[in-house]
Amino acid sequence: MTASTSPAATAPATGPAGGPGRPRGRFGADLIVRFNLLIVFLALCVVATLLAPEFLTTQNMANLLQQSALTGIVAIGMTLVILTAGIDLSVGSTAAFGGMTVALLIDKDMNFVLAILVSLAAGAAFGAVMGGLSAYLSLPAFMTTLAGLTAIRGLTYLLTDGKPAGGEIPTAFQLLGGGFLGYVPVVGIVFVVITVIAALVLRGTTFGEYVYAVGSNREAARLSGLPVRGVITAVFAISGMLSALAGVLLTSRLTIGQPTAFNGMELDAIAAVVLGGTNLFGGRGGVFGTFVAVLLLSVLRNLCNLLGLGSYFQMVVTGLILVVALILNMVIEKRGARA
Amino acid sequence: MSGDPAQPRLHMSGIVKRFPGTLACDATELSVRPGEVHCLLGENGAGKSTLMKILAGSYQPDGGEIRLDGQPVTLTSPQAGIAAGIAVIYQELDLIPDLTVAQNLLLGHAPATGPFVRKRRRLELARAAVDRVGGEFPLTAAVRDLPIADQQLTAIAKALTGDARIIVMDEPSATLGENDLAKVFEVIRSLAAEGRSIVYISHRMDEVMEIGDRATVLRDGGTVGVYDIAETGPERLVAAMIGESRELVRPVEGAPPEGEPLLEIDSVRVPGLIDIAGIEVRPGEIVGLAGLGGAGRTTLLKTLFGVSGGAVSARLGGTPLRVRTPAAAVKAGLALVPESRKEQGLMLGLSVGRNTAVTALGRPPWLAPRRLGRRLGAPVLADLGVKCATPDQPVGELSGGNQQKVVLAKWVTRGGVRVLLLDEPTRGLDVGAKADLYRQVRRLADDGVAVLLASSELTELTANADRIWVLHEGRNVACFDPRTAAENTIAHTVITGVTP
Repeated sequence: MTASTSPAATAPATGPAGGPGRPRGRFGADLIVRFNLLIVFLALCVVATLLAPEFLTTQNMANLLQQSALTGIVAIGMTLVILTAGIDLSVGSTAAFGGMTVALLIDKDMNFVLAILVSLAAGAAFGAVMGGLSAYLSLPAFMTTLAGLTAIRGLTYLLTDGKPAGGEIPTAFQLLGGGFLGYVPVVGIVFVVITVIAALVLRGTTFGEYVYAVGSNREAARLSGLPVRGVITAVFAISGMLSALAGVLLTSRLTIGQPTAFNGMELDAIAAVVLGGTNLFGGRGGVFGTFVAVLLLSVLRNLCNLLGLGSYFQMVVTGLILVVALILNMVIEKRGARA
Repeated sequence: MSGDPAQPRLHMSGIVKRFPGTLACDATELSVRPGEVHCLLGENGAGKSTLMKILAGSYQPDGGEIRLDGQPVTLTSPQAGIAAGIAVIYQELDLIPDLTVAQNLLLGHAPATGPFVRKRRRLELARAAVDRVGGEFPLTAAVRDLPIADQQLTAIAKALTGDARIIVMDEPSATLGENDLAKVFEVIRSLAAEGRSIVYISHRMDEVMEIGDRATVLRDGGTVGVYDIAETGPERLVAAMIGESRELVRPVEGAPPEGEPLLEIDSVRVPGLIDIAGIEVRPGEIVGLAGLGGAGRTTLLKTLFGVSGGAVSARLGGTPLRVRTPAAAVKAGLALVPESRKEQGLMLGLSVGRNTAVTALGRPPWLAPRRLGRRLGAPVLADLGVKCATPDQPVGELSGGNQQKVVLAKWVTRGGVRVLLLDEPTRGLDVGAKADLYRQVRRLADDGVAVLLASSELTELTANADRIWVLHEGRNVACFDPRTAAENTIAHTVITGVTP
């Protein structure tokens, strides 16, 4: 009654194809893409050290990690969404909402662990609704999350009529966003851990493989019997949850909830994902590229600060770097395809 | 359109084109006379496309000479090709779907006064071109809204607005039903009668026999020979295409499988499209679905697989089949090899291995998909004879036949397939790849799978199916046993809907 899978059953014993023959073509190109980014990143660090002696101090390094961690956490969620060929413009608003709700709930004497969980759940729910609309009604994610960007930001303002929220914040909660383990900021550790988990999920679980399949060809994935809608809804829920987490961490550091926080965060996150080599049309890329790209952008900003260059200048440089990175990726891709 | 008939309109000699690792054209010769329909034949990879791209000016040859009406020409760009009177109509019709017929026809050379398009003049010119190809569709319709046959005619008309002397048609029949093809053939004949030269590329021998005057056969980049079609049988042309050592498609052998049907279709209805009743498939049986384009073959398979909505009353192994989504269909033991392998069958950017295994990963503990995929997929790939450098090669780099086998491998890897639905599985494949694919399908059937096979090529159905159902305008009208029924009887039924 089956379409002959009997050879499969005996496969492990005989081990056909032997060790996985290392592919040269595409895999090599992938390596170069990743390697390139790392080289640029290290070169930038060297330049920074030479130009500004303060750059390579533990204090500055710790600051740098702390500043990049929140964007980084959001960018990891964004990576998953973009891998399915989606986009999430609502991350900034969802983050602000998460930060506000956790502040308000703690102010209402809720246990802070519970308050965090409620915030994360709210973020995940927002994401699931926007992703679900896009998956089940075939609305473009660009539009559903653009609607979310406005509506959730509005909701955030409505919570307190636009005023910051907060009061007595427990010390344990403050440590989460502002604490250090030795010289290492706790948020930095959270960022690293989330990156590693995301990488494991993408490479080591069926869900991760489905993410790539859906992003590479949604119709083929559907006709292969994959739960395409579920996968899309899930990645948006994850993105929403990670955004809310970034908001919670910011509230913890500032000890108040800021309804105006994370304005324009979506663009920083998307920039990092694309710079990290993830294809905007889905199916190719990964979180390690995003991780390095987040650090790279952050070092760039840090360097500009140390050199006393204004934020206007930083914006120009960031934009130019993105264009160069895109061109570089395209060139490498083409060479890989020809090989 | 004058010219000395003894002088070839087009003469390509000693054309050489190298790509990294391959010699796509190896001293290729092609000579086309004025007023001739010249067929260009060869398996996939024989060098037809490369030669035509060189003729169009898209590729620059590494050697050789092109003469038009005796004059040597150098075609440095597609614009130069068009200016020289060469029009290439690609399979995927390079029309802009959102523009109107008239806009498409005169794209790039619309009559204008300064920056303003003279719309009435454009309509007149477009009307003249469409009339010449016998089109009866509105010029102001967006191309995407036209049936595919009319799009094909629009593409030909576009070649005429540029006053092309040489018109290259790349497998026009791949997207046309037989009625529509007859219409296109009529146009081709009248263009040839005007003295234009047509280069016609196709895999289908019956078309070549019908429309062609002469044929040039290519193999491995070189010209095997030039044949006068009226004096040459199809067997000789096919033999020239595939060389000596390859096996041809043989008629189906052996008795049809007997026993209880595995798939019993009481009725499948999609309002306005299909109303099918009473098709049964036994385990081990390949049931062919024949019909013209739009007869409902694809709709039937898609509805059975839960891709598009419709009322299905069917039983699988005696239990009612309830399928609303492809995921449910897969769970029930159905597998679909869809019409377009690139758009619906494969994740082109992912590797061969990942494509092969993607259906097989939904099992506990849902971990280590790539290792699991390699373990399950590698033996299937080897078993089906998929030729790839490594399983990590992107599937988009494989040849069409191997890509189609990967789509098949996807289902074999999952296992538990009870009904295999094949929709035009051999589109665009060469003769050898077709035979190989059908061998694999037959092997699956021999393992007890029930197969429904939709194809536009009747010879493939008679060669491979145990029974053939003919669909006509959404209904299944007759069932034939290819061992006993004459092929032209079936063909007659396909076209008219009634058995002679």
